[in-house]
Amino acid sequence: MRLFAYIAASCLVLSGAAEAQLSGAGDDPEDIARDLETADTSPDGADADPWEGFNRKMFAINDGFDQHLMIPAAKAYRTVTHKKQRKGIRNFLANLRTPVILVNDLLQGEFSRAGDTMGRFVINSTIGFGGMGDPAERLGIEQHSEDFGQTLAVWGVDSGPYLVLPFFGPSTLRDGFGAGVDLTADPAFWVRTDPATYFRFSRAGANIVSAREPLIEPLADIRTDSLDFYASIRSFYLQSRKREISNGRTNYEDLPDIGEFEEFDDLE
Amino acid sequence: MRSLARRSVFRLAAAGAAAFCFATQPAAADQAVEDYVQGILDEAAPILAGADHQTMLDNIEALVDEYVDMRRIGRFVLGQYARRMSEEQEAEYYPLFHRYAKKIYRNTLSDYAGESLVVTGSVDRSERDIIVNSKIKNPEPGSSYANTVIHWRVYRSRDGDLSIVDAGADNVWLAIEQRSQFTSIIANNGGGEKGVDALIAEIKTRLEG
Repeated sequence: MRLFAYIAASCLVLSGAAEAQLSGAGDDPEDIARDLETADTSPDGADADPWEGFNRKMFAINDGFDQHLMIPAAKAYRTVTHKKQRKGIRNFLANLRTPVILVNDLLQGEFSRAGDTMGRFVINSTIGFGGMGDPAERLGIEQHSEDFGQTLAVWGVDSGPYLVLPFFGPSTLRDGFGAGVDLTADPAFWVRTDPATYFRFSRAGANIVSAREPLIEPLADIRTDSLDFYASIRSFYLQSRKREISNGRTNYEDLPDIGEFEEFDDLE
Repeated sequence: MRSLARRSVFRLAAAGAAAFCFATQPAAADQAVEDYVQGILDEAAPILAGADHQTMLDNIEALVDEYVDMRRIGRFVLGQYARRMSEEQEAEYYPLFHRYAKKIYRNTLSDYAGESLVVTGSVDRSERDIIVNSKIKNPEPGSSYANTVIHWRVYRSRDGDLSIVDAGADNVWLAIEQRSQFTSIIANNGGGEKGVDALIAEIKTRLEG
């Protein structure tokens, strides 16, 4: 379904978190209540975009970068790799993100999920051939995503305005700051040698291309269907981000009323 | 067909939202509404299995016409501007929106070609506003998208009639996304009736394109 926000993924493509998928944590009612409460801090819609003028300009720049560089690179990548190879590479890159996820699991007090993160890393790095495979998932330890933006949300920090970052794409003030902090949770960040620098840039490039490739058609479809591509992406990002912060849980109470406003009465 | 469907499933998962869907509200499931949605999905299955693409699209449109309350959605996506339209604008907007939204629904549903969906449960936001969840029946073995939840928002009128008023996946909703676009276009073109004129022009352009 071009519907829904594969877009969010596109946002995540640029923020380097694209490979993460979500999984609900435990069924503990307290966990559920907390997850949903923290997710409430991200409004969606035009009201949450006081910096729209700046954001639209940045969006246009990023879009040009996407059209002229990322899409051709993603298409080339698709041409020279097999689907199974691409899946292996996605797994490998996701495994490299373990430190960031682990740190944020712990900062959020999600010790069970931190255990999952560690378990996945150990299993996938060993019997998963260095992370190319994902035997952990087959063992029931599903992948999940965390980042410092989500941690801040758990700590009660409001999302702040919607913000389109240069190159990194859709975000919010809080999540953009969080993305910066996440850089420092990466061990390679602290190693200032030429090989480490080469590794960081190579990994970033691989992350972008690997994450963009499966979104070539979905994003093209959304562009075709949208009357306002910018607003479409914004909504997809904010909606899916809200769910991400709530650790994959769904809060139906937050939905706006569709059918019960007074002004709808004359429709019946 | 299958590749399209797989692609669409991947899109959903790629959204970073593949997950279990927990019914977080205590409201009891609404069996009648679940049956209503399952009936639509059963009706859709042979259509989505159709070999001829154009026939499938035509049949999906017929299905959308029958079950989706486009006028209610059309009103919703205007946000606060719904009350600021002139009668002439309303007369022009709603038929245009109907055509535009039908196309979006058609494109969206056609991505499920070759698949069939099964209802997994429901949550009552109120007696008249019910979310029905579904998932792909018999996903490919090992698919990590098997847990993707596809939502159908059902409205029950005062008379008890049911209709679909939104669709979503993993808590990302189509009408909410459309509202973001529509209100943005109106606001960026002066708001009020002037902005609505711009929106109408935009929809016309898109439909003609």
